[in-house]
Amino acid sequence: MAKTSSPKKEHNSFHSYHQFDQINGLHPFQKACPDSFVPYQARVRRGGKLAYFNFDLAKEMGLIDQEHPEKITAALSEKMLETFSIIIINEFDQINNRQFPAEDLKPNAYMATKYLQLQHPNKTGLTSGDGRSIWNGVFKGNGKTWDISSCGTGATRLSPATAIQNKFFESGDPSISYGCGYSEIDEGLSTLFFSEVFYRNEIETERVLGIIEFPKGISINIRVHQNLLRPSHFFCHLKQGNYQGLKNVMDYYIDRQKTNGTWTDLPKTEHARYDYFLRKMTDVFAKLSAKFEDEYIFCWLDWDGDNILMDGSIIDYGSIRQFGLFHHEYRYDDVQRFSTSILEQKQKARYIIQCFAQVVDFLKTSKKRPLNDFVKAQWAQDFDASYSESKRKNLVYKLGFTKEAQDFILKKLVVELEEFSKTFSYFEMAKSKKGIQKVADGINCSAIYCMRDILRELPQIILARESGLEIEEFIEIIKSNYASAEDLKENQYRNKMVALFQQQYIELVERVAKNQKTTIRKVLLDISLRSALINKYERVTGDSITTIVHKVLKLKPKLTPEQIFEVARDFSHYQNLNPDKKPNKNRADGDKVLRHIFKIVREYREGL
Amino acid sequence: MKLVLYSGGTGEQNRILDRECLSLSGKKFPKITYIPACSFDSEIDFKDFVHQFAEFDITQFIYFPIDIPFDRIIMKEAFKSDIIHLSGGNTFYFLNSLRKSGLFSELIDFVKRGGVLTGLSAGAILMTPTITTASFPKFDCDENHDGLKNFKALNLVQFEIFPHFKKSTRYENELMNYSKKSKLPVYALPDGSGILVEDETLKFVGKTYLFYQGKKCTLIK
Repeated sequence: MAKTSSPKKEHNSFHSYHQFDQINGLHPFQKACPDSFVPYQARVRRGGKLAYFNFDLAKEMGLIDQEHPEKITAALSEKMLETFSIIIINEFDQINNRQFPAEDLKPNAYMATKYLQLQHPNKTGLTSGDGRSIWNGVFKGNGKTWDISSCGTGATRLSPATAIQNKFFESGDPSISYGCGYSEIDEGLSTLFFSEVFYRNEIETERVLGIIEFPKGISINIRVHQNLLRPSHFFCHLKQGNYQGLKNVMDYYIDRQKTNGTWTDLPKTEHARYDYFLRKMTDVFAKLSAKFEDEYIFCWLDWDGDNILMDGSIIDYGSIRQFGLFHHEYRYDDVQRFSTSILEQKQKARYIIQCFAQVVDFLKTSKKRPLNDFVKAQWAQDFDASYSESKRKNLVYKLGFTKEAQDFILKKLVVELEEFSKTFSYFEMAKSKKGIQKVADGINCSAIYCMRDILRELPQIILARESGLEIEEFIEIIKSNYASAEDLKENQYRNKMVALFQQQYIELVERVAKNQKTTIRKVLLDISLRSALINKYERVTGDSITTIVHKVLKLKPKLTPEQIFEVARDFSHYQNLNPDKKPNKNRADGDKVLRHIFKIVREYREGL
Repeated sequence: MKLVLYSGGTGEQNRILDRECLSLSGKKFPKITYIPACSFDSEIDFKDFVHQFAEFDITQFIYFPIDIPFDRIIMKEAFKSDIIHLSGGNTFYFLNSLRKSGLFSELIDFVKRGGVLTGLSAGAILMTPTITTASFPKFDCDENHDGLKNFKALNLVQFEIFPHFKKSTRYENELMNYSKKSKLPVYALPDGSGILVEDETLKFVGKTYLFYQGKKCTLIK
């Protein structure tokens, strides 16, 4: 299985990069929402070099042509630096009357957007938002509109450091970290590896277009999404009672969803559009809560609506994790406070929708009613219904049933599935008797069972034996490295649950076989094939991403941007666990860097 | 001893060998374990393998990657199968993983117990005394990423095989030179060809060429 690579076309120096010229700081948000950003003049930042470029994304956007070789040409590198290697001229520069060569100044202003952030002392969003990012602008290509922003382009007045210390900082000020306006290459690479894996697995996310590297590990990380607005962009105006500011953001957002073809059945009247908006948001956040729980994705949602985009896409990978087991007691330690846990994400998502219900009512009536008035509105029922439905869908998918079988179970075997879900949850939620322990960046009480292992192996074993597992065999398969002897001590209740798990599982299989007028063996075989991929032994975790990035950084002096692109692409392909979409091409298992990466993923597969 | 050594190729090309393999098992619907050479994306190959046998109405399969940790439950079940298939892939990696997994002797015992062991390409080479044939010719060999030095394999047969053989001067020269050094006969098999071993009997399916002590002989055209 020697490495295969598709023949690459020779570099054609006539590829045009004129599309980059669209990205010039100007953005329709500036005109539509004048209360929602701080404009900054920007200048060329020298000394950078392109460390990574996402050819796939650039082609998807229409930024480069489809035939462009996967090679960083001198012209491409120059264009990327010209477009994205910038630094803002901030308040510190202005106060100190710093002068810059005229040829270094960019013609248009770039915006740092305002949004609510809980870590700011002012809890209304007056002083918070993009603390070290600016929006490079908007790009229209291949029938879509894309927002592009860069992290690490200098310290803005919206950073927590400025708000807390009541002073403006020089960009790159070594006396502070987060508030200095710079970002680091490991952040860019973490985001790159994580987001590409999520993207492949249809988990909505921001993506990395490029990384520009400067000395001492400093970088500008360029992110792209079709709409980079967050709920917190709305909530700052809501908190301030700024009707017009809120309406501007709302109308802007709805229009973008329409022009991007995301919302195709948008009503015509204003009020109906707002109601439609609320229904959509309810659905998005209910589904994402279920998805995050079921895929063990830890995303620190909170009342400010930060850390997530409006369509539920993940943004800001600093605290994002994917657990190998259901570590539902894990909390990230953010120095002043602990984060929410994975199970609390749902309540926070619900709260975000409650705020949107308040937003919509405010916009429809021009009166801002108390948030508590919206606790028991229609949205709450919709949210719960959508969440429950998603949980069922996710479970039946994870079990490995084919689409036809999934539909049948979701329609006809809801009660049976719910019962199985309770048994499944018993094992999934089981935690270590050691209790809460300190971990590298927070606290956790470890989960002890690996549900993915039993879902992968059980159908094969039943298929081979035509009977289930003995109790000790079941535990042998499901136990994780976190389980101590104490945790695994036999007890009657657990024995009963082992039997129940298999009984309920087999019942679902039998009912599907009966419905499909086929044999139980055939159903189990279908499940085996799908589950082998869905519940692959090695799935990426937050810990593995951190270690992979260390490895790549260690190798990086020798790794070209093209090689990083290839590694990230091959890695995300290998982590594509969708049996319906996994393409059988671009095998790259022989690559040395990749083989190191696989080993890391394997080693950390049960971690945080 | 029941072995089937596949050179490679598509399911279509290997249909006769598949049939022979099922016949060797002595069962109409045998249980088959699939051991991939490398777990990377092997779920896809496993799926193809299952589909290949679907036309014979075989439904009992076990997917058993051995380069990742495995539990004894699935291992025991795998070795209770009627047929174990070693897939194609990087021969060096496969041999190394097999050694590390401690399953070398298990596989030999499986064969001694009457189980049918089959292998495709790398998997087939593993059944022979040595995997040297995976290391040449330079223009078409497996990469020895881990620098494996001990090439000793399962040693179930007293010949070597060269899978994916293409009838051309440069391949033939390579094999001719190698056969001068090797004490064993080397069977060169184009895709779709294979060798069935039942106790002491060899049966060749498809085009087969023998290279031995610097001479070439066409066994089946």
